[in-house]
Amino acid sequence: MEKDFIVRTKNVDFFYGAFRALSDVTVDFEKNKVTALIGPSGCGKSTLLRLLNRMNDLIDGTRVEGEILLEGRNIYAPDVDPVEIRQRIGMVFQKPNPFPKSIYNNITYAPKLSGIVDSEEIEALVEESLRQAVLWDEVKDILTKSAMTLSGGQQQRLCIARALAMKPDVILMDEPSSALDPISTAKIEELIDTLKKHYTIIIVTHNMQQAARISEYTGFFYLGKLIEFNATEKIFTNPDVKQTEDYITGRFG
Amino acid sequence: MKNRKHSLTKHTKEIAIRNLFGFFAFLSVLLFGLILVFLFREGLPLFKQISVTDFLFGTAWYPTYEPPEYGIWPLIVGSLAVTFFACLIAVPLGILSAVYIAEIAPGGIKEILKSVIELLAGLPSVVLGFFGMVIVGPWLQETFDLPTGLNIMNAAVMLAIMAIPTISSISEDALYAVPREFKEASYALGATKYETIIRVIIPAALSGISTAVILGMARAIGETMVVLMVAGGAAAIPESIFDAVRPMTASIAAEMGEAPFRSGHYHALFATGIVLFVITLAFNLIADYISNRFRETGSGTL
Ligand SMILES: Nc1ncnc2c1ncn2[C@@H]1O[C@H](COP(=O)(O)OP(=O)(O)OP(=O)(O)O)[C@@H](O)[C@H]1O
Ligand SMILES: [Mg+2]
Repeated sequence: MEKDFIVRTKNVDFFYGAFRALSDVTVDFEKNKVTALIGPSGCGKSTLLRLLNRMNDLIDGTRVEGEILLEGRNIYAPDVDPVEIRQRIGMVFQKPNPFPKSIYNNITYAPKLSGIVDSEEIEALVEESLRQAVLWDEVKDILTKSAMTLSGGQQQRLCIARALAMKPDVILMDEPSSALDPISTAKIEELIDTLKKHYTIIIVTHNMQQAARISEYTGFFYLGKLIEFNATEKIFTNPDVKQTEDYITGRFG
Repeated sequence: MKNRKHSLTKHTKEIAIRNLFGFFAFLSVLLFGLILVFLFREGLPLFKQISVTDFLFGTAWYPTYEPPEYGIWPLIVGSLAVTFFACLIAVPLGILSAVYIAEIAPGGIKEILKSVIELLAGLPSVVLGFFGMVIVGPWLQETFDLPTGLNIMNAAVMLAIMAIPTISSISEDALYAVPREFKEASYALGATKYETIIRVIIPAALSGISTAVILGMARAIGETMVVLMVAGGAAAIPESIFDAVRPMTASIAAEMGEAPFRSGHYHALFATGIVLFVITLAFNLIADYISNRFRETGSGTL
């Protein structure tokens, strides 16, 4: 069967001012799979992730070259509205960042922006998103409480639910469990496993075991270059490139 | 032995420094206390002559008549009216300029605006009063065909000019203090810049903005020179915003010089000072309460 690539990058270079953070990155992300991005600190993983939903637009003095395609359309074409791209590609950050609003209003933020006003529809969406993020049972009685009162792990699942409520096609996760304890981390990993039925997930992680456990594909970055991209199993058992092997076995640098 | 002596002197030095700082901190508290005692000592004797209710709600202020009347209700209304209309102008302008400076303006314009607002804050109130008397007053009089251009409207505009820098700069700090993560989360959820400002940044800064508004109000109600010069000075309850009023501060400033020492009039002016003090104190307490309350819950239910 022909593989269905939802997001592809072609020869992407990215600059913060004069500093080149990514060089010639070409990578295809398969639909409804989990792809992990690994590599040492500062190699450009977050930069690539933030390029995919145009979050880097918010930083002054940046420049992109090459093409990034979402279902065949270049998302950096002049006629593309970054807001529309961000609605289709959700993002979960390293540090849980719920709004200082009620749990309910955190979830309804994106749907209300996109113009959903029917209160039954919104209520259903809140429940569905929280269930998908496996948070419903814990918060169903405290929906009006401030999201700030939740634990870090609950906050991160709330942030995932908040992104899901937008009904995105792709979810980007930048080290989503690095600020969490092992139990919360395990919950997030389980969650990712169930989410991939409906969503394409691209996740940055520093945790090799995590990458090996949850992803189908893994890309290894070093100094702004994609060194190797392969099936996760291959990367972790028999990588093609020596640098990759050195990195995942901890013999790096 | 020598060593120990050294550390001992170092220790005494630290104690000395601590006490010095403590002394100066205590000095300001002491001064405040003394002023308060003085204010009450000179003001309270009035209530041997008239009741508190007659003083606060009496509608006639004829302190030099025989018999004198010390009803400060028109003065209270005057103060509240100019403050209210000043806020009506200064609150939106102050907040909008803060939002513009903190979130929207490009670098160059931002710096210029900030320094202009700082200059505005540094403008001596007597200069502003002069401007109100000589420029705004006659203009109002002619444009609206009024008996006098020195009225609530004029005072409100001048007070607004004085309150805007306070409101703007404190709101601006509150906006800067909103964590970057909230903005990123909002953008990542497909919000535009303006949706982010209105739905995330302003609500998250609301406690600071409320404090700014209340401190701006306190500034307006306590201001003396401007209202003395442009409010018109009539101690009557106003019926329109083009009526002249005599705010409490203006009354105290204008009359204190001519009130005989420890006369009824003298005590009445101090008692007016007490009322003013209580009102500003209330504003400050409210500002404090709001900023604490929001801090605890992170404006959770907004
Ligand atoms: N806003 C910025 N302005 C300038 N340079 C930046 C900016 N953000 C990142 N960089 C630089 O770009 C390079 C890649 O950064 P990036 O954040 O993508 O790394 P990363 O792989 O995510 O690292 P980590 O694992 O530590 O999160 C780094 O050298 C970093 O210093
Ligand atoms: Mg990173």
